[in-house]
Amino acid sequence: MTPLSLALALFWFSNFYDEYLGFIQFIIRRWDRVIEYTFNHFSLVLTVMFFSLILWISVGLIISRYEKLASTAFGIGNILFVIPSISLFGIFITIPMLGLGRTSAALALILYAMMPMIRNVYRGIKSVEWPILDAARGMGMSAKQILFQIQIPIAWPIIFAGIRVTVVMITGIATVATFIGERNLGRFIHHGIARESADMIIAGAVIVSVIAILLDFVLGKIEYKITSPGLRRV
Amino acid sequence: MIVLDKVDKVFPGSTIPAVNQISFQIDEGNICVFVGPSGCGKTTILRMINRLVEPTGGEIYIKGKKVSDKEVNPDELRREIGYVIQQIGLMPHRTVEQNVALVPRLLKWPEEKISLRVKELLETVGLDAEEVSRKYPYQLSGGMMQRVGVARALAADPPIMLMDEPFGAVDPIVRGRLQDEFLRLQKALKKTICFVTHDINEAIKMGDHIVIMNKGELVQHGTPMEILCNPANYFVKDLIGTDREIKLLELTKSEELVTRTKNIPEQIIEKDSFILAIDPVQRALEIMMKKNSDLVGVRDGAEMIGTISWEDIKKHINMISGDN
Repeated sequence: MTPLSLALALFWFSNFYDEYLGFIQFIIRRWDRVIEYTFNHFSLVLTVMFFSLILWISVGLIISRYEKLASTAFGIGNILFVIPSISLFGIFITIPMLGLGRTSAALALILYAMMPMIRNVYRGIKSVEWPILDAARGMGMSAKQILFQIQIPIAWPIIFAGIRVTVVMITGIATVATFIGERNLGRFIHHGIARESADMIIAGAVIVSVIAILLDFVLGKIEYKITSPGLRRV
Repeated sequence: MIVLDKVDKVFPGSTIPAVNQISFQIDEGNICVFVGPSGCGKTTILRMINRLVEPTGGEIYIKGKKVSDKEVNPDELRREIGYVIQQIGLMPHRTVEQNVALVPRLLKWPEEKISLRVKELLETVGLDAEEVSRKYPYQLSGGMMQRVGVARALAADPPIMLMDEPFGAVDPIVRGRLQDEFLRLQKALKKTICFVTHDINEAIKMGDHIVIMNKGELVQHGTPMEILCNPANYFVKDLIGTDREIKLLELTKSEELVTRTKNIPEQIIEKDSFILAIDPVQRALEIMMKKNSDLVGVRDGAEMIGTISWEDIKKHINMISGDN
């Protein structure tokens, strides 16, 4: 029993070791490509996040004030979210003026970000308990002061959870944008599949994961910094 | 100071008025307590005074000025009126210091003045400013939070305070202590206070003036003594409860009943059965029961001024309760 399982484990390990070395070697061999694709991938994610934050946080704040718009916005967000990413990219390239390339890719990803972003902003703002708002109004804070000094700071942890989920998700889905002309890490995966090269696929996937984990980690640090210690006990 | 003139409130989607044609006035430096069952409109009245709720009819005046005046900005109006609610509503993301400083910061006081004021206030409400000012609300006990809530409402020294069941969320022991402290504070501050409670005992204890409400209507108003002596109807009688006479004795000072005499019987001095002239008569009953006698002595400071007998108390109750 024991020698057999030992042999199996050794076999598995050596295999794993080869594979492991294989994708490292691939990265070293194609370093210039790796740099280029990683940079493109990263910059696409950052562009998308930049516009998503401005757009969807605003929309989230608006729907938390005008309740009637909320269900419509959630409806749209959900529909966009369930469209398979590859077809959403496809739809965008058929729109004149957009076509293949970064604009279409960015727009599609921004739409994907809608659902997790607005839902968390809305949920965060709504998580502020009524007595807190009542006391704030009763002491003479204006609606604007209540929004910026009370609601948003208290909602931060929840809004931030939405941002982190969105970043990780966008980093992953951005790989699909390779089909509409983005030269990013998705290309390794795509070509890897076409050439049946596991090293390429793993290289692409690992770098994408590292970017996602890194961004999530950095955002976590920022979140901790700007969340009031009074809210941190949860 | 505060005048309500035929104030009405009908909430949207409701046909029954939450507050129906209420008129009365609150004098400066008084505590006016609104008391009644839930849904009687007492909180709505409170919230109409600082325009958290807009009346559908009638007028409210503060110091002769209409609060509904177009020139009055509701936010600025509210900064001049202290506001304390049962759930306190401390800002969880802000320290105690920042919570108390909220209104002064809205009013753009200079920072040195604010920090002095916060310190002073925390000490006033019985908290250790050093220890507590950098804490967050979740680190405080219920009683401490309530004190911070009161300090926050007092921060900008508003002449008027609105308090909606401010001691409702703490246990009875802490509540009693907070009530006593607040009454002591009020003696010095002389604020005009609107106080909402559903507890008639709290109303009698806290109020200079009591407004009893039911289903949006004003049922009776007057001093605690007036209401205890002459309940307007069965509703008020019910609200007061079966121990009306005992409550009366709580409100009556011993000096009102004392039979002044220089000859204090030996047995009183022997048993040391004395009460103070400022003690409520109820205290005399306690002493009688404890010392098993029908007579207690009354002292004013060190001086013995007379006695109160069981007969005196019975006569007094019969006279003012008017049942005989």
